[in-house]
Amino acid sequence: MKLLDIANRYYLVVLILVFSIGSLAAYSVLKGIINHEFNEKLFAEKEQLIFELNNYENLQKTYYLNIGDVIDIREVETNPMVSSLLIDTTMYDQYEKKELPFRQLTFSEEIKGKYYVITISKSLLPNLDLIQGVSEIMIGIALLLMVSLGFLNRWIFKKLWKPFYQIIDQLQRFKISQPIPLDIEPSDVDEFNKLSAVLDEMITKNIKDYKTLREYTDNTSHEIQTPLAIIKNKAEILMQEDLTESQMMEVSKIYEASTRLARLKEGLSLLSKIENNQYIASEAINLKQYLEKRLESFEELIELKQITLTTTFHSEPTVHWHNDLAYMLITNLLSNAIKHNIQEGYILIILNQNSLLIRNSGKEPLISTDQLFERFKRSSNLRESTGLGLSIVKRITTQYNMKIDYQYSQDKKEHTIELNWDHSE
Amino acid sequence: MNILLVEDEKSLGESILNYLEKSGYHCEWVENFTQGSEKTWAYEYDCVVVDITLPDGNGLDLIEGLKKIKSKSGIIIISAKNAIEDRIRGLDIGADDYITKPFDLSELNARIKAIIRRRNFDAQNEIVFNEIRVSPYDRTVSVNDQSISLTRKEFDLLIFFISNQNRVVTKESIAEHLWGDNMDMADSYDFIYSHLKNLRKKIQEKGGNDYVETVYGIGYKFTKT
Repeated sequence: MKLLDIANRYYLVVLILVFSIGSLAAYSVLKGIINHEFNEKLFAEKEQLIFELNNYENLQKTYYLNIGDVIDIREVETNPMVSSLLIDTTMYDQYEKKELPFRQLTFSEEIKGKYYVITISKSLLPNLDLIQGVSEIMIGIALLLMVSLGFLNRWIFKKLWKPFYQIIDQLQRFKISQPIPLDIEPSDVDEFNKLSAVLDEMITKNIKDYKTLREYTDNTSHEIQTPLAIIKNKAEILMQEDLTESQMMEVSKIYEASTRLARLKEGLSLLSKIENNQYIASEAINLKQYLEKRLESFEELIELKQITLTTTFHSEPTVHWHNDLAYMLITNLLSNAIKHNIQEGYILIILNQNSLLIRNSGKEPLISTDQLFERFKRSSNLRESTGLGLSIVKRITTQYNMKIDYQYSQDKKEHTIELNWDHSE
Repeated sequence: MNILLVEDEKSLGESILNYLEKSGYHCEWVENFTQGSEKTWAYEYDCVVVDITLPDGNGLDLIEGLKKIKSKSGIIIISAKNAIEDRIRGLDIGADDYITKPFDLSELNARIKAIIRRRNFDAQNEIVFNEIRVSPYDRTVSVNDQSISLTRKEFDLLIFFISNQNRVVTKESIAEHLWGDNMDMADSYDFIYSHLKNLRKKIQEKGGNDYVETVYGIGYKFTKT
């Protein structure tokens, strides 16, 4: 989840909490005030009524009492001694034409020597309306605040965290093999300035270390060549001598080992060259023609193993690869399909606009499929195999943003490798 | 046949010198750029074998010097770097071939032979090995004056053997000579065997001798007996 979303979520929770508590509190306080006021009014009316009843003959003449208030005056024989009693009830309202809440004040009074029980009923409707209005205003303000806070937050985030996202963006695109120093605008935020300074320092150091390592690898690989050549050639010279058979075998082992080492070194330095992006240039390659040409060079091997080769070219895609890498990729894939095949097996090649599928019969690999692309993981005990072929394939596919899938089918005993590349590339 | 070897690594120089002299060349060996340049000015060699990295100069400059004096020598570059730029530049300025360390002496020998053959171009130029006559230009072979037809690989194999006659040549060097990079295969040795079997059969059918001797576990030896 994004930082902004998380922050917004907290804001929202707190805001809702504060507003519900605040609204409830405001509601009860308001209600209390209004109620109090209302009751005061009723009592004031009571006093007024008593005053009017005592002083005037005709009650109709007065207009001091509120319209809508219902006054009920009942004459009783004896003093009921009712002190003021407040109750809430519902009554039929003439104007609204429905039952509405009313508050009644009932009291008894002695007026001009007679006893009366008087009830003043006052509609609570304006009261309720007021509370509802206030609540609506509260909710409205809450919503408005939430929305504006959200926008404000977003804006602050964008502005404040801009350097941070800049750093992330640059780090994402950073490649140690093609290092571009970080370019981050100085920010008002000390923390970000510190972060970019620390990162800058770290990256500079890493680039330096990487260069040193690369030079070391290059030099080592270069320096190994000559002694390796000496060992190999000395063994060859020894072979020409009149040696006993066992001596000859020993020499031959030296020779074989040096040959293997040379091939291993070749593979490793190739891998490091690809990793160092030393194969940048690319050319348009017609994959169909290219495959056909490569297959020609394997013809004899395919024949020797009596392998049935089926090629299906659904399309004739043009890819833009470095010539050497294309050679390595296709040769490795084809030679694997032959090397790990069985006598009288089969190879199926399907070329589409965006994909190349190579399927061949063969024994089950000795290692799990996800390890197959790692260095020095061999799927068989073939002595001639350096265990680098598929790592090289993997490296090349990574370079060209291709997808590579490998599968082994247990029942059919077949290996399938599929390459996918983006057509737009 | 005169060959000049310019190689600063003593042990390597020794081996190459040893192998080439036993192949019947007259071979001179110098260890640095200065001496190499002097030699090339003084004599015309059939082939010059130059290491690129020399203590006092670049082998490529030596080649440029050779080209300046319009030398007809064949040129092979030896390099520790399998760098494409070096190879392209070397071949651009007029080298005939490029070989990367570590290499097989038999391969170097075969390449020197091929270059010398090309340099002394002559349609009549044939390689005669007892009853076997090979014409490298039209790629034909005859045994006891009867022509035999060989596949490309069989032909290359025969030339490789004749170039390295009386030498033990390893299976690895044959495989690399015939298939280059593609030889990283388990069955390439079976494959050599199958080509060799056909080659032997075709030569023997015309009454030729079997000159190929198997050196157990190592390779073969083509012996002129």
